[in-house]
Amino acid sequence: MSAKINFYLLEFALGALARQRSKTVFISVVLSLLIALLSSFFFIANSIKHELLQTLDTLPEITLQKLQGGKHTNIETSAIDSILLIHGVEDANARVWGYYYFGQAQSTFVLIGLDPFEEHYTKTMQQVVQKYDFMQESRQLVVGQGVKDILKSYYYTEEFNFIKPDGGIVTLPLSGVFNSEIELESNDMMVVSKESAREIFAIADDMATDIVIQVANPQEVATVASKLQLLFPDARVITKEAIQISYKNIIDYKSGVFLTLFIVSLFTFFMIIYDKLSGLSSEEKREVGILKALGWKVELILKEKFYEAFIISCISYILGVGIALFYVYILQAPLLRSVFEGYSKLRSSFELPFVLDLQTLSLIFFLSVPIYVAATIVPAWRAAIQDADEVIR
Amino acid sequence: MSHTPEVLTLFIINILLICFATVAFFLSVRIVKKYDPKSSTSLQYKLQKESYLTSVIIKFLFFIKIPLFLFFIFTLDKLSELITGAMCAAGVVDATGYGNYLFVLKILNLYLFALWLLLHERQSSQEEPPYFKEQYLFFIFLYLVLIAEFVLEIFMFEAIELDAIVDCCGTLYSNATTSYIGAIFRINTPLLLSFFYANVLLLLFAYRYKKSFVFSLGSLLFLVIALVSLIAFFGTYIYEMPTHHCPFCFLQKEYYYIGYILYILLFYATFHGIAGFFVQERKRAFKAIIAVVLYTAIVSGYVLSYYLRNGVWL
Amino acid sequence: MIHLKNVSKSFMTGKKESIEVLHSIDLQIKEGELVILRGASGSGKSTILSLIAALAKPTSGDVIIDEKNIAKISDDFAALYRGENIGFIFQKYNLLHNLSVEQNIMLPLIPMNLPLELVQQKIQNVMEMFHIEHKKETLCAKLSGGEQQRVAIARATVNDPKIILADEPTANLDKKLSLHFIEMLKELKSLHKTIVVATHDPLFFGLDFVDKEIIIDDGNIQI
Repeated sequence: MSAKINFYLLEFALGALARQRSKTVFISVVLSLLIALLSSFFFIANSIKHELLQTLDTLPEITLQKLQGGKHTNIETSAIDSILLIHGVEDANARVWGYYYFGQAQSTFVLIGLDPFEEHYTKTMQQVVQKYDFMQESRQLVVGQGVKDILKSYYYTEEFNFIKPDGGIVTLPLSGVFNSEIELESNDMMVVSKESAREIFAIADDMATDIVIQVANPQEVATVASKLQLLFPDARVITKEAIQISYKNIIDYKSGVFLTLFIVSLFTFFMIIYDKLSGLSSEEKREVGILKALGWKVELILKEKFYEAFIISCISYILGVGIALFYVYILQAPLLRSVFEGYSKLRSSFELPFVLDLQTLSLIFFLSVPIYVAATIVPAWRAAIQDADEVIR
Repeated sequence: MSHTPEVLTLFIINILLICFATVAFFLSVRIVKKYDPKSSTSLQYKLQKESYLTSVIIKFLFFIKIPLFLFFIFTLDKLSELITGAMCAAGVVDATGYGNYLFVLKILNLYLFALWLLLHERQSSQEEPPYFKEQYLFFIFLYLVLIAEFVLEIFMFEAIELDAIVDCCGTLYSNATTSYIGAIFRINTPLLLSFFYANVLLLLFAYRYKKSFVFSLGSLLFLVIALVSLIAFFGTYIYEMPTHHCPFCFLQKEYYYIGYILYILLFYATFHGIAGFFVQERKRAFKAIIAVVLYTAIVSGYVLSYYLRNGVWL
Repeated sequence: MIHLKNVSKSFMTGKKESIEVLHSIDLQIKEGELVILRGASGSGKSTILSLIAALAKPTSGDVIIDEKNIAKISDDFAALYRGENIGFIFQKYNLLHNLSVEQNIMLPLIPMNLPLELVQQKIQNVMEMFHIEHKKETLCAKLSGGEQQRVAIARATVNDPKIILADEPTANLDKKLSLHFIEMLKELKSLHKTIVVATHDPLFFGLDFVDKEIIIDDGNIQI
């Protein structure tokens, strides 16, 4: 009896909801908004994760950084020789790059030194190499669109002056702009030749910022990583997998914080619902009494109340998710995005890619529907145990 | 410590369930202590009414636990992306000492709750339920098992270290391991298969000739044999790899989530079969036998389809 | 078929006070009989109806319907019993005002979960019998007194009960409608139901198709 659906009862439940219009609308609206808030958060988190992971996918398998006193310091390029000897290493290259602080705009750019002869990992870099001939002319500056706009607003249209650590200036002509599919890249990246980068950051010829290593077989990465660690005890060996995991963790952590806050508000809502439903109006008592007098068992009345609760919460779920989808992917989530983006000003203008998966949807479902239904259990029971004999008086 | 949103959600819903279960627990204790079907004082009347609340809560618990269990597996799967070495839920389950026990406990709980609901339904249809008190005593026991599950789950999730490398199912479920799982693979395959199909036939005969005790026993046996044969034999045909024995990997998207269907069928079949021991009902046996047939058809189907497509066995 | 054996009923009027409405009464009604319970307001006749319908339990004594003692059955089984065996026409009709005529009539059938055609047929039959079909979609709040009464009667008969109970059915009706109700009583009698009407309306007294008149006075029966 308990598992079969009674369609007449379902119809009655729908009717009951329609009859208590104001209550139904109030609950649906509040629940939908709460669900929309929750869903928006998850959708944004998912999209950013997706975007970040796409960026990260372009990273080299292993990055080797030298540490001194626990902090990053430049590494000797001679290390490459021993690295190439490790079984499984396909290629190893020295990278010269760093963060350049543009004081006037109070922005930090990522400055990358390119060597036209080396393998380039990201599509963007490949593009840049193809388009701008660094072999011919090594003194060039190619920037992402976002950077260009900033430079322009400080009147740097033809060239840009880098300030070296010793105070000297390196002037490079602004050759052009690159476009990246990954917006995070185009918004804060500057590309110069390796020599220029060395000049700007005052890195000697036999030093590099870090060394990137390509491993032929992805299954071997862990093994190679551990060998590297043995070879260079003072270095930090970062695998792509580790970075991916830590990014996922950061986002998950933020989600976790949000979730905790959300639960507080949900709990409050729960209390309000409980309170609102607990008060049995005399009308409601009368109705239950009549139904019992007509042959409805307590179980049936409870079932009907459950149908009501389930219908409301499911409709609110669908509405909430719909609103969230609209808010996040069409309106691009104004306001909420900033919760996730803590970096520089530049990083906040990329389009959130549409990411929707079953796990997130079920997550949202579990955080809304069962909780609402649970809130209605005791009030429904209180109503259902009304005695029918009142009806006679 | 792993606090992904999924784990937090599990935790939140579990707390919700425990809160309600505790209410039901206290009500059950009252009923067991004070209910007297012969007397008709207002206390008895009140207890009657409270029993409705208790049974409604238990129904709620069960109907949430089922999708929650599936979600639990989903969560483990997702965690496997974060834990180095794990490729599917198997690695996560094995990552801590608690995982395996928790898993078994969860499944056991599902069976027990379903059983409670079945017994309750039988009691409710009788005007003077003979085991009214006893069913709530049963729930008190269930509550304790539920708490155990909850505590174990907390321990397990807290104990998971994302940096510790775990064994993948390839290692866990291979012929080479010395654990009891490895012992499964040392069973002669033709023998195992004949046990399996013999069991199915046994169930069919028991159904046809209405031998309910045999049917129940056969269903219990089927649970064990089906699982073993799934891991040792049928699974390899789903993966189309003779060494891939993992019971979790086929829950993933690549295999069209077939794992969920198989396990749900198995649960459905064995539950209704075993329940037949307590409640003899033809309809119930019918449900069980249909599920058994479907399950057998699907797993055999994978084997046959491989053979038909490739002309050889694995 | 209906047998109240040594039944007493008291109601609590305060924390410790109670008032005894029925004093050890003994009552028997045969199957198919149409019985009028005569008595003034507060004499206890409504209580007798409640007891027959298992809407109340006797403080002592037995209520035996069709050889089954319903005096002590649980709430749930009382509801089941009512759904299958009783059709009650309440004094205030007790319709759900925000539901239509059809929806109100359907209420006793919902727990039974019968096939759709059967349900529709049953509803159609009673609507036709009591001439309320033309208003089937109308909300009960918008019906006249007489129409509401007909809906109440239709609802009481749709589940094909063995026993029909009517509590002061003409209390709020004018003479014309009261007589109309009596006509419908005749129809109900033709369905071979056991009918018990509690009333103090003199229109009911001395009717030829009534099988028995039982007079209740202050909780006691006077034949």
